[in-house]
Amino acid sequence: MRLPDGYQERIYTPQQSRSVEAVWRHEELQAGRSLILPDGRCDVIVRYNADRAVVPKLVVTGPATQPYWVAFEAGDRWIGVRLRPERGGVLWGDALGAVKDQVALGAQAEALVPELAGLCVAGIREDILRQALVRFVEGRALTPEGHRAGESVRRIHLAGGRFAVTELAARAGCSTRHLNRLFGGTVGLSVKAYASLVQFHRALRLICDAGGSLSDAAFEAGYADQAHMTRAMRRFGGFVPSDIPEGLIRPDVSGGLWGNRAA
Amino acid sequence: MKLGYTIIYVKNVPETVAFYEAAFGLTQRFMHESTLYAEMETGDTVLSFSAEEVIELDGLAFAPNEKSAIPAGWEICFVTEDVAAAFEKALAAGCSPVSKPHGVPWGQTISYVRDLNGCLVEIATPMNLEG
Repeated sequence: MRLPDGYQERIYTPQQSRSVEAVWRHEELQAGRSLILPDGRCDVIVRYNADRAVVPKLVVTGPATQPYWVAFEAGDRWIGVRLRPERGGVLWGDALGAVKDQVALGAQAEALVPELAGLCVAGIREDILRQALVRFVEGRALTPEGHRAGESVRRIHLAGGRFAVTELAARAGCSTRHLNRLFGGTVGLSVKAYASLVQFHRALRLICDAGGSLSDAAFEAGYADQAHMTRAMRRFGGFVPSDIPEGLIRPDVSGGLWGNRAA
Repeated sequence: MKLGYTIIYVKNVPETVAFYEAAFGLTQRFMHESTLYAEMETGDTVLSFSAEEVIELDGLAFAPNEKSAIPAGWEICFVTEDVAAAFEKALAAGCSPVSKPHGVPWGQTISYVRDLNGCLVEIATPMNLEG
């Protein structure tokens, strides 16, 4: 995991919260832009500024499967809650299946989570934002579907995204059709799409940390060959394995299975 | 270099330790306060259990041990003079039978069960190398 300056997060273990994976905050001292890698999760975020006259803005993200650039001004700040992959419905409800790679801003986000609209007042304190976001997410009821999907999400992470959908369905004791429907309603992505993201993040890590060649990394990550790994890097990162951008932010996508290594 | 540990990754370490105590008569040597790692009293080569969660920290990946899946292609083998009694004790503690005690041409009595996590465990008489 590699995190940028000005970024802090607290990872929650499953024992600490069934819904919150992490609470994070970020601050940019200078205007610029940064590349965000897709992690397949939904976040609820308040974006504000060190200038207390700026009115905070609510942001709700759908499960991301594509890299995207965020542009910012000096003093921009964010505080957000990252939900566990199988808890996207907390923010999107029944619309979850249709919001892949979408971001709701301002009034659109307030319509999704009207309980949080009251946070968008100039000068609001960060600790109040943090408390309100966590309380809102924690207050949403757990569903048996989310719990069942969570078991398969866990298997996907343990296997580094290398399980075929048929194997995951067999382990879950259901059909592949059923498992995909379950994922569509809880994660907001197909099983394959989510597993591909986990595989991509692990491959990235193997390239950077395993001490071998690109073809070693492709093999261990479970790609058929190096060309398949290159294709995944282009698709999820917008770069090629031999040219990974310097200073790339590699998020902790272990599903909060363990806790924060940096802590 | 010498073989130091056999470490089995499991979903729940305390549950697995309790199961191995009941099913195979082992005793716990050590449990980390986080309950994510434990060692059994097995002499110089330690049998340990580690929580699956910790692997993603190091970029490892594996097929997790589960009763509903095909077991991985390796086993733990416990050696005893009374295989029949040990086999019954293992079943009573919740192991699933795979192969009941039987003689093999080279003189051993062997049997197989699967543990609470679906791992393959053999229970056999000692091999008589002089025979």
